[in-house]
Amino acid sequence: MPASAERPINVHRVHWVTLWLTAFLALVLQTFLPVILPLSRLFDLPLLVVIYFSVMRRSKVFGTFFGTILGLAEDALSHGFLGIFGIVKALVGYFGAWASVQFDLEEFLGRLALTAVLVLFHNVTLAGLRHILVESPLTFQPLDLASVVLLNSALAVVLFQLLDRFRRPA
Amino acid sequence: MSNFASQGSRMYVRGAKIDRASVLEIRSPESSRPVAPRTPEAPQVVQAFIHRHRPFFVLAGVLLAQLMLLSAQITRDRNLPLAKVWAEAALAPFERSLRGLADVTGGLWDSVRDVTSAERQNGELRAQLAASANRIRELSEQSAENERLRTLLDYKARAPYSTVAAEVIGSSPGEASSTVLIDRGADSHFTADLAVITPDGAAGKIVAVYPHTAQVLLLSDPAAGAGGMLEKSQAQGVLKGTGRGLCRLDYLMNGESVSAGDLVVTSGLDQVFPKGLPLGRVVKVTDGNIYKNIVVEPAVALDRLEEVLVVLPKASTPEVARTRNP
Repeated sequence: MPASAERPINVHRVHWVTLWLTAFLALVLQTFLPVILPLSRLFDLPLLVVIYFSVMRRSKVFGTFFGTILGLAEDALSHGFLGIFGIVKALVGYFGAWASVQFDLEEFLGRLALTAVLVLFHNVTLAGLRHILVESPLTFQPLDLASVVLLNSALAVVLFQLLDRFRRPA
Repeated sequence: MSNFASQGSRMYVRGAKIDRASVLEIRSPESSRPVAPRTPEAPQVVQAFIHRHRPFFVLAGVLLAQLMLLSAQITRDRNLPLAKVWAEAALAPFERSLRGLADVTGGLWDSVRDVTSAERQNGELRAQLAASANRIRELSEQSAENERLRTLLDYKARAPYSTVAAEVIGSSPGEASSTVLIDRGADSHFTADLAVITPDGAAGKIVAVYPHTAQVLLLSDPAAGAGGMLEKSQAQGVLKGTGRGLCRLDYLMNGESVSAGDLVVTSGLDQVFPKGLPLGRVVKVTDGNIYKNIVVEPAVALDRLEEVLVVLPKASTPEVARTRNP
C-alpha cells in the first residue's frame, strides 16, 4: 500500500513537577474560585488540564491514567460517588490523545475546536452516566450547555497559552 | 491506521497499513524501547493484536475498575450494591432461559410418560369396561328373565286353567316353517295339540313330543291355524299363518265391520286354545271376492320367545299338574 505524505508533528514534555503541580492547582482553584466568583462554577479547570496534557503527550495510555487520577480526585472532593468523574475524564484523556495524533492541533483553531468538542463530550457523558448509575433526572438545557462549552473554550485559550511556556521538546 | 516512528524530537505519521512484519519495528510513544522479541510459544497474531491496541485495553481496564468502584458504592432498592444488581441483571435472563428450557424438557418428558401411562391405563380401563359391560348385560338379561318369569308366574297363578312353564331351547333352522323346541316333553306328560301361550297371548301348539323336549308350531307358520274372532264384533274366523311373521284371518264376510287395530282373540272353537286369548291385531283390511282379506300381526313376539306356558287339558288333575310341573 503506498504511503501517504508524512506530516511532521512535535512531541513535547513537561517536568513531572510542573505536571502534578498544575493538576493540584487546578483542583484547588476549582474548589476555591466558586466561593468568591460564582460564575467560575461553570469552569472545569481539571478538565482543561487533562485535555492539555493529553494532547501534548499524545499518549492514549497517559491520557487515560491522567484523566482517571484527576477525575477520582475531583470525585473525592465532591459529594458524589467515587468514579463518575474518573470515568468521564479517563475517556476525555483517551480521546484527546487520539485526536492529537489524527489532527493538526498546533494551530489555535484546532485546539479551540478540540477543546469545545471534548468539553461538550465531557458534560453529555457525565449527565448520561449520572442518569444511568445514580438515576438522576436527565434534563437537557442547551443554553447552559452552550455557555459551559464557550466559557471553557475561552478559558482554555488563555490557559493553554500559559502552560505552553513550561513545555519543552521531547 | 497510523503508526509512529521517532527521529530525534520529531515523529512521523504514516498512512501505510501496518503489516505483521512491521509491528516489531514500531517505536510508539507508549514504549520508548523496542518491542521485546516474541517467545516462540506465544501466538504471534494475538500478541501483535494486544500490543497494537494496548491503549484501548488500558482504557477498558481503567473504566472497568472505576465501574466496579462505583458499583460497590451505589445501592439500589433494599440497599443492594449496584454490583449485585448488575450481576443479577446480567445472569438472570440466562438463568430464566435455562430454567425455561429445563421446564420445557421436563414437561416433554412428563408428557411422554403421561402418554405411556395413559395408554396403559386406557387398556386396563377398556378391559374393565368390557368386563363391566358383560356383567351389565348378564344382569340385564337376568333381570329381564326375572321379570318375564315373574309375569309368567303371575299369569299362571291368575289363569283359570293349568299351565306348565317351559323354556324355549331351539328353533327351526329354515324359514319355511316356524317352530321352536321347548325343554319339556314326555317327561312332563306332554302330548300333541297342547296350546302354548305367553302372558301376551297365544303362541302356537305342540306338534311333536320327545322324551325330554317338544316341538311347538308357531301361529305364523303356514301350517298353523287357530279359531279366532274379532273381540269387537265377535265375528268368527280362522287365523292362519302366512310364513312371513304375520297371520291372516279368514272367512270373514265382506260385509263385516273390520278396521285396522281391531283385536283378534281365540274363539275356543278349535278345542286347543282357551277362549279369549289375544291372537293379534288387524294391520290391514281389504275386500275380497266373498271374504275380507285381513292381515293380523301376532300379539306375541314369535321371533323372541324365551319362556312359554303349556296349557294342560282340562281333564288334568292337580296331581297331574304338579307331576308335569315339578
